[in-house]
Amino acid sequence: MTPAEPTPTLATQSLALSYGTRRVIESLGVSLPSGQVTAIVGPNGCGKSTLLSGLARLHKPESGAVLLNGEDIQRLPARKLATQLALLPQEAVAPEGLTVNELIRFGRQPHQGWLRQWSAEDQRVVEHALAAAGLEALAERPLEALSGGQRQRAWIAMTIAQQTPLLLLDEPTSALDLGHQIEVFELVRHLACDGRTVVMVLHDLASACRYADHLIALCDGRIVAQGAPAEVVTPALVHTLYQVECTLLTDPDTGSPLLASVKRSRR
Amino acid sequence: MKSNASDLSTSAFMLERSSPRVAAPPGYWRIAWQSPRGNACSLLIERRSLVVSTGLFVALLCVCVLYLGLGSMALAPSAVIPALFGAGEMISVFTVQELRLPRLAAACLTGGAFALAGVLMQTLARNRLATPGIIGIDNGATAFAVASIVNVGVSIAPPAMALVGAATAAALTFGLVAGGGTQGYRFIVAGFGVGAVFGALTQLMLARVAIDVANAAYPWTVGSLNARHDNAVGLLAIGLTVGIVAAGFVARPLSLMRFKDATAYGLGINVKAWRFQVLMLSVVLTALAVAVAGPVGMVGLIGPEIARSLSSSRQVPFVASLLSGALVMVLADLAGRTLLAPIEIPVGIVIAVIGGPWLLWILMRPQRSHA
Repeated sequence: MTPAEPTPTLATQSLALSYGTRRVIESLGVSLPSGQVTAIVGPNGCGKSTLLSGLARLHKPESGAVLLNGEDIQRLPARKLATQLALLPQEAVAPEGLTVNELIRFGRQPHQGWLRQWSAEDQRVVEHALAAAGLEALAERPLEALSGGQRQRAWIAMTIAQQTPLLLLDEPTSALDLGHQIEVFELVRHLACDGRTVVMVLHDLASACRYADHLIALCDGRIVAQGAPAEVVTPALVHTLYQVECTLLTDPDTGSPLLASVKRSRR
Repeated sequence: MKSNASDLSTSAFMLERSSPRVAAPPGYWRIAWQSPRGNACSLLIERRSLVVSTGLFVALLCVCVLYLGLGSMALAPSAVIPALFGAGEMISVFTVQELRLPRLAAACLTGGAFALAGVLMQTLARNRLATPGIIGIDNGATAFAVASIVNVGVSIAPPAMALVGAATAAALTFGLVAGGGTQGYRFIVAGFGVGAVFGALTQLMLARVAIDVANAAYPWTVGSLNARHDNAVGLLAIGLTVGIVAAGFVARPLSLMRFKDATAYGLGINVKAWRFQVLMLSVVLTALAVAVAGPVGMVGLIGPEIARSLSSSRQVPFVASLLSGALVMVLADLAGRTLLAPIEIPVGIVIAVIGGPWLLWILMRPQRSHA
């Protein structure tokens, strides 16, 4: 299933975001490549999650704008935006007792109305989302009864059911072990193959290198590097971001950069 | 030839069968129709909530008949029902229609309003202990009503003053949080403070007047259905009707606001706008109910708790909360009227005595398992 017609573009224009008087994102201009997986990486507190919530209109810009197809998202009605852009916040919580199927059905909200509560299209899309996330067998299980990876896939399935061409994920793997992380990343790759634009905040540079097509490295609210991981990730960049030294190898399988012999910088 | 024809008919049949068939999600009934403009319309009705609400409604009707029959003059249900329609002995018609029915109506309306206001606020705050009573609205109403009784200078009737008090407390709380957004918990903390101030004011006023005057103000400090004003009941009836319709409109966004704000925003819900409207609705319902019965806000805790224990977690149990609240209030007032007759226990005290320990039990018992 291919979501929506022409691939929409998401970009920022001298975007500045603040918490109170503290400026977190400084005059940032970035364009997110359509149909690809973009990872936003950077040290703790660099503003990567803030940037993501700015992109999703959760955070009102102090100046500048986020542009969806060239239009300022502040001017879009909430429901219209929700048909273009889905967001999975960090550590999402659901009401107790909700089943996987019920959670995914909430993703249809922007497409429903008072007199359009459950259409054939809704049913088809929810079934598709269940299948895409590989959760058919668990559809009637309550979320509490799932493993961490399964639960995270259920949340992503909810955003799939939203049928948006753009998908923003905030640290989708932060609380998962390696096996469950791979489950989620492979689902994300699969979504990009379907033509979706995925933007995710990651604290782990290694998985960003492995699973992202495009990397945006943030430091103190500014972009220090962006581009394909194989091109932009250098020992110097790793040092700028995390104050560590490392040797870069090339993954024999995928060609993506691998970080080796990482140690604290003595400089 | 023959097999070809049968193939054709089978495929036509399949086409017809496969396109319009939509299965309702598990636990729902689906009603679908075509609007005059040709749009496909569909409604979902949650089975469990329909069953629970019907059950609670029937229980409420039974308790109401019991309520109308019991008292200093006991009437069998077989006498109560004709008396409701003006048939039977004059004295039973008078007792039922003039003495007990208005009070029953007040009990149903206040119980329903408190519980509806409670479930709204609990959903907003994502906290099952948040009720309008906790954010100081009850206390504000009490303080103003007591002031109007204690100070001879004020000539406004206590219910009107209670309404003004509730509005004042709500306005103060809104004002105090205005700088920091409308975060649910912040609102509760500010309301808690406002409530404490008004509570202290009430005590101060009661301590400084003659004992007779303090006695007259007493029902307003505990909550009672004995000294109702018809105007206040009428106003509450209108308010609750509007409130029920409004609750129907906020049901969908509110069921999404049970998630984190970011999730609800992501699904296209304007959380800020809805939160303000739902908060106002909850405040107005409480204010109107307090003006009738005084501070019996605990119904706002008990009603939704009963409703939640009976309902599924698919949606916010509005109707069940409303009916449970009315049921609790009618039962409590019935107990208050009859247990120690001819002495009457104010309904607020009955609810506190029975409701407190019961609520403790509900909150302390192990969570239901959903496996």
